[in-house]
Amino acid sequence: MHIPDGILPAQVCVAGYAMTGLATWYSLRQINRKPDPTAEIPKASLLTAAFFVASSIYIPVPPASVHLILNGLLGVVLGYFAFPAILIGLFFQALVIGHGGLTTLGVNAAMMGVPALLAYHIFQARHSFSKVVMEPARTALFAFLGGALGLGIAALIFLTLVILNISADINANTERGLILVLSAAHIPLMMVEGVFTAMLVLFLQRVKPELLES
Amino acid sequence: MGAVHFDTYVPRESVIHHWSPRLKLISLLALMFACATVQHITLVPWMLGLVALLYGLSGLPLSFLQQRLSYPGLFILAVVVLLPLTVGDTVLWQWGWLALRQEGLQATLLILGRFLAILTLGFILLGTTPFLTLLEAMRSLGLPTILADMSLLTYRYLHEIGAMLVTMQQAMRLRGFGQRRQHWLKVNGRTMLHLAMLTGNLLIRSYERSERIYKALRLRGYGYGPKSAQEESVSPQVSVLSWGLTGGALACAAALIVAEAVLRGALSQASLLGWGLMGVLLAVVIGLIIAEGVLRR
Repeated sequence: MHIPDGILPAQVCVAGYAMTGLATWYSLRQINRKPDPTAEIPKASLLTAAFFVASSIYIPVPPASVHLILNGLLGVVLGYFAFPAILIGLFFQALVIGHGGLTTLGVNAAMMGVPALLAYHIFQARHSFSKVVMEPARTALFAFLGGALGLGIAALIFLTLVILNISADINANTERGLILVLSAAHIPLMMVEGVFTAMLVLFLQRVKPELLES
Repeated sequence: MGAVHFDTYVPRESVIHHWSPRLKLISLLALMFACATVQHITLVPWMLGLVALLYGLSGLPLSFLQQRLSYPGLFILAVVVLLPLTVGDTVLWQWGWLALRQEGLQATLLILGRFLAILTLGFILLGTTPFLTLLEAMRSLGLPTILADMSLLTYRYLHEIGAMLVTMQQAMRLRGFGQRRQHWLKVNGRTMLHLAMLTGNLLIRSYERSERIYKALRLRGYGYGPKSAQEESVSPQVSVLSWGLTGGALACAAALIVAEAVLRGALSQASLLGWGLMGVLLAVVIGLIIAEGVLRR
């Protein structure tokens, strides 16, 4: 789910870079407020590499298989480091395999990174519901929401940008219909991503809880 | 993941290889954005011609481009394949319900042209500049320290973590994972749980390794203040050739943007503001580069 070079006009690409610049500035500002930001850098870097590698794992959904985006999970585990991690991961993907692109790097980073930050805040909101839902259902529920919404919002932005910009000759009703149909087709994938995120977060909570204390 | 390689640098003695990395990065990015502004089909051959000229100057072999274009090329084809058959009213050719439409065909050619031009420029950048030099150039252009350090560490450990995943997946297969028959359109919860645990283990191993790396880095002085003035001041002299190439590339980028604006008649419309902004941005970049060059001399 990366927008390749050549599809979006330059104005949208520049706007994407502006949004990414703003989100990066905000994330780095939050990171620098920590008592020792440098202590977190190796952890965030290796987890960035691990997420980059883990996105190549395929979930069998017979007769095909899908690979996960994991941006919601990145937000849940890395917190404010999620945005720089996504930016770096996408930069490497654009350079190494030509997936995505350098002109669309800003748009792609904003498209995946902003929902990741949202997923982080959703997951953190679980602390406010400690009396309503008991553990471990609470962690599982908020991890599911973070994972599913992370992918869902990114997919909605992706489809809207691609369909609205691919050709000026498609009429507005067709565009709206296409966005709705293709977004609805992503609901099963949101479920898969949400369930996977919940399973993984429960596993981490059991085995290495400090990984979730971002 | 095991097949992924970062070392795409092809050592040659071309003028593009000798182009200062910082100026090359700015110039090629400006050209990429100029290519992204092209909306008029008549500019596509000019844009591709310019990119072909740069590729020729770089001395990179054609097989390099062929090899790297195949995967993203298939992806873009999947995105635009339906456009000539579904978009537009002017039918060029019809066979039963299947009709080839002019507007859709033009949109496809435009997207493919821009895609080919921008991607080739990216590969020229990567093929003529070692990855670490490119990161260094980005750092000298103001990339924040946290991003630069994260990029370097991710780059350093990506292959090792990829190899770790391959080993773990092999161990799972040897213990019988993936041997069970799958039902159609049904996600097996147990399979998913195993894959979630595999990913979790990968994250935990990476996390534990990062703690050891951090301790090793601290022992070598990481995080104890800025670099020494001597280290910071090391910047190679920029040649006349680099300035010439930069000027040429930026002039070509400006020409593409102006030609596009003139062809679309955009100068008389409300989008004048957007074009003006692009022009101002480009002028600022050129001004900064010239000012830096003058100050260095």
